[in-house]
Amino acid sequence: METTEDSQASAPPGRRRMAVIGMLVVSMLTLGGGAAAQQAPYDITQITWPPLDGRQAFVDHMSAARGDDAGMLGWRFDRMQALANNGDLWRDREIAAFLMTPREVFALDRNRGRAYDHAYLDIGWGVTISGPHIVGRMTSALDIQPGERVLEIGTGSGYQSAILSYLTDQVYSIEIIEPLAERTTATYAELAVDAFPEYGNIRTMAADGYHGWPEHAPYDGIIVTAAIDHIPPPLLQQLAVGGTMVIPVGPLGAQTLLRVTKEEDADGAVVISREDVYEGRRTVSFVPFTRAGGGIWSQ
Amino acid sequence: MTRTDQAGGVSLSFYLAVALVSGAIIAFQIATMRVFSIASWAHFGSLVVSIAMFGFGVVSAAMVIGKGHFQRHWRLWTTLSLLAFGPLMIAANTVAQTVEFNPIFLIQDPSQTGRLLANFVLYFVPFLPGALFLGLVFLRGQTQFGKVYFANMAGSGLGGLVFLLSMYLVLPDRLMLVPLAMWFVGAAIWFAGERQRFAGVALVTVGAAAVALSLAFTQIAVSPFKGVSYARNFPDSERVYQAASPLGLVEVYRSSYFHFAPGLSDMAGLNLAELPTNAYLGMYFDGSGPVGLMRALPEHQLAYFRFLPMYMPYLLREEPEVFVVQLGGGISTELALASGARTVTVAESNPMVLEALTGDPFLTDWTGDFLADDRVTVVPYDGRLYAGEGEGRFDVVDFALPDATGLSSPGGSSIFEQYAYTVEAMSAYMRALAPDGVLAVTIWNREDPPKAVPRLFATMVAAAERLDPGDIASRFYVNHTYLSTVTVLYSRGGFTADEIEQLDRHSRAMAFDVLYRPDQPYDGDDAALVFQAFRDRYFAPELLDDPDRRVDMSATNLYRLMLDRMVAGHGDEVAEAYVFDTRPLTNDQPYFAGYIKPGDLVAFAGMPEAVSDQWGYLLLWLTLGLASLFGLVLLLIPMAFGWRTIFSRQPGKFGVIVYFLCLGLGYIVVEIGLISKFMIALSNPTVSASVLITGMLVFSGIGSYVSGRFLDRCRAVMPKVFLAIAVLIALYGMAIDPVLDAIGVLPYAVRIVACLALLFPPAFLMGFPFATGMAMLSRLGKEHFFLWAWGINGSFSVVGAVLVPIIGVIYGLSTVLLFAAACYVVALPAFFALLKRRAEAVPAAA
Repeated sequence: METTEDSQASAPPGRRRMAVIGMLVVSMLTLGGGAAAQQAPYDITQITWPPLDGRQAFVDHMSAARGDDAGMLGWRFDRMQALANNGDLWRDREIAAFLMTPREVFALDRNRGRAYDHAYLDIGWGVTISGPHIVGRMTSALDIQPGERVLEIGTGSGYQSAILSYLTDQVYSIEIIEPLAERTTATYAELAVDAFPEYGNIRTMAADGYHGWPEHAPYDGIIVTAAIDHIPPPLLQQLAVGGTMVIPVGPLGAQTLLRVTKEEDADGAVVISREDVYEGRRTVSFVPFTRAGGGIWSQ
Repeated sequence: MTRTDQAGGVSLSFYLAVALVSGAIIAFQIATMRVFSIASWAHFGSLVVSIAMFGFGVVSAAMVIGKGHFQRHWRLWTTLSLLAFGPLMIAANTVAQTVEFNPIFLIQDPSQTGRLLANFVLYFVPFLPGALFLGLVFLRGQTQFGKVYFANMAGSGLGGLVFLLSMYLVLPDRLMLVPLAMWFVGAAIWFAGERQRFAGVALVTVGAAAVALSLAFTQIAVSPFKGVSYARNFPDSERVYQAASPLGLVEVYRSSYFHFAPGLSDMAGLNLAELPTNAYLGMYFDGSGPVGLMRALPEHQLAYFRFLPMYMPYLLREEPEVFVVQLGGGISTELALASGARTVTVAESNPMVLEALTGDPFLTDWTGDFLADDRVTVVPYDGRLYAGEGEGRFDVVDFALPDATGLSSPGGSSIFEQYAYTVEAMSAYMRALAPDGVLAVTIWNREDPPKAVPRLFATMVAAAERLDPGDIASRFYVNHTYLSTVTVLYSRGGFTADEIEQLDRHSRAMAFDVLYRPDQPYDGDDAALVFQAFRDRYFAPELLDDPDRRVDMSATNLYRLMLDRMVAGHGDEVAEAYVFDTRPLTNDQPYFAGYIKPGDLVAFAGMPEAVSDQWGYLLLWLTLGLASLFGLVLLLIPMAFGWRTIFSRQPGKFGVIVYFLCLGLGYIVVEIGLISKFMIALSNPTVSASVLITGMLVFSGIGSYVSGRFLDRCRAVMPKVFLAIAVLIALYGMAIDPVLDAIGVLPYAVRIVACLALLFPPAFLMGFPFATGMAMLSRLGKEHFFLWAWGINGSFSVVGAVLVPIIGVIYGLSTVLLFAAACYVVALPAFFALLKRRAEAVPAAA
């Protein structure tokens, strides 16, 4: 599930309002393993990456290769540049993943024209797609490598996992709102048979994400796109040694985007460390999610 | 019963009706605050009621301007206002429930401002007819104002009391029927006394309609963002306990979706063979929470306790005598029992919690009835008072996470008194330790940049210095988990090297960051740079991007720096340099919240989203501004309309303004200031407010009644009264704490009686000035002033109500009461100005 947020990358940090997430806990309902759970993974090394160094070259390439709308492509490139300048996208591969992912496809029809605005977008059920900057920042902080296994808690619109699917072919995602999970799973399936075979690699499940997805653990990366006031021990258990979790933790109105790592120290003991992705310079603001079947994780 | 006569003589039915309608008005105020407290958040209820009280100012202004009209149509207006008041209470509340206001979105969603305004307007409306009725009866009864005022005050006080007692019997969603019933009886008595049969029939009709409306529509629509709303929405949610009393509404829910981890080490998931699942119930107070109630863990899961921060003292002391400062959800007590405590003494001042955990079969079964363990002794009052009763008794004193928490507290830190965390309280906990005893205080550590935690550090360091002045460096050991909890350990005798080594080992094993240990000085960045960086974060963020100016802004580094400076005796420097207020909590300033320094207030007001957990405090300032503005407008409207006509022949205008402004401010400041103070003895804000409001109004009502006997000698008597009030209030402000401490350990009923006795002298005397002033205005033929003064008094009561928490946070509660004393001193010369007769004024005017 994603967030309600309103952040201003170009505004002073004091005026930033970022992700707004309520971590949901819903019935333990499995949807059957997602869009392409039973298929062999699509080989993402076959992806033809777009040029990163020029707006027109990017638009021309993508229009020709995938038939994307040229106007949307231009906005996507502009937003990418803003994110890179703001430090929300750190490396070329995350920049490329961002440029490959059609955010407008994951937005509701009425919001397509605002798909690349610096804003969250409503996707129904009181849930929103996070702004591009928070998606970019969390993806970069996760630093996922090809072939690594990543778990997302809070599928939402599916946009975040779609980006991740360009970085690795091992993407698992849990959504607590059953109808939203169904809709997003269907979206992936539809896109996978069209021009986005990489989305066929995303496995989805409708469940209480607090308990993770132990059947596929351990994960090299876990990304939590919903507010919580503590790190769920089951997710720490399912995080691989050497793995990274990105999770917003804290009280209402001022949460901190944490990067949690699980490593072995010199004595061979496993240690957990927490650091603020924004290095103490800003917080994010999450609003608890509310709806029937929803809830929060609470201490 | 007899009619009121044309000369203004009044009957018993008149007084009874006034008392009942006054009681209904105050009951409606309290009911509105209860609705907000349960449906959304209490401090918004206080704001709404404060603003609504301007209904008195508006009515007074209208009556001053249209006095002749109201006198000519007195009967019509009393009838209409009485008939309208009751149904409007219900209608306003019913409609307000459909206007979903969510303070969480106040900044993000512009429509929320409109919704807040709609709430202000809706709850304002019923006060108009209520105030009009009282204004009309004051006008009619002005020659015997002391008696009418007595009926008003005593009725208000007793009405509040009746309402609070009714909370034992009536569940919150039916509470609006209580003021409605008071109104109905009052109006019935009035119409019977006035022999208005048609009005009586109309009364029955509108009363029945109001009841029907109340029963047919939701009277409390709980915000979906309240903690309890989430619990109710869990698919397998089940309410397993509910109880209501004047102390509040307690609900306990069961669901497999409660996921608690009160400071649990990140290593628990990696090292425990089995994590307890479905281990907690969620307990909610007025819909806020949850507080976790842990089930009795089986033997093989007891290792879970080792991963909680409150376990640390048990590393150092075997089979200790333990004192748990506050029971809360009981985890500390269960942990102590599981960790080999020889005895556990546990305090809990909320009888509803004790009743739930000892009297309810389901809950006692769930928790293993740990309070019935032979080793447990329960203290039914505040732990800080119990700790203060004796010295050197406990090997371990635990004060850990008793408060509810969750994601659903907007304004996260609204202004309320936290006497359990003051320097005085911490000193008491430390004093209660055996010579080698350990105090462990754990609080939530969820703010970055930190706000509450530095205040806890400062408070504990100040308490240690107060208890045993000298080198305190060896007495502390502090660790935390970032964005989880922080634990401060204090050893009165100082930690030994072995103990420090043990704690270090445990901290490493639990992945707790050590923030302070004896003999390990802070070795990070320059203190001035770090503190400046935290200021720049808000006021010059672009400077933080300078690559040549890299400063470690992590909370861990900041805590280490702060503790190093504080323990070395430089807490004042930290308070000066850090962007938020880090002064220690004291009984005079018992507030965690209100972190914004006065000098930064304007700057932060311009970026409220940067301090979204401070909205409660910022809203107080906003309300103060609005209240002052409204107060002035209402003061000036009658003057603008009547300066050259109505008031032109009346001398002493300025004196009247000052006099009633001072009384309005002074009275409410004393009332609310003492509510805060008396929580030391009464522990519970609702009870403290009830006792104080009822006591003040009834005693002042008696005072106003008695004051009538001294009208002829008022020039001689009133100076003594004013001075006595000022001296008493100042005395209470400066020296009442030890008395309240002593009262606080008595049985609860005795505490209430003792508090009322303490309240009587000032409250009785404070009944004199208003009644005497009003009676003298009437006697001097200044009828227009009479109504105007009543409005000024009411309007500035609202200003005073908001002023108290603001002065309290910045300067302390003693200053609050000194301010009130000053108001009464200033009122004295104004009183003599008010007494000016026209003949005296002419030469002055010339």
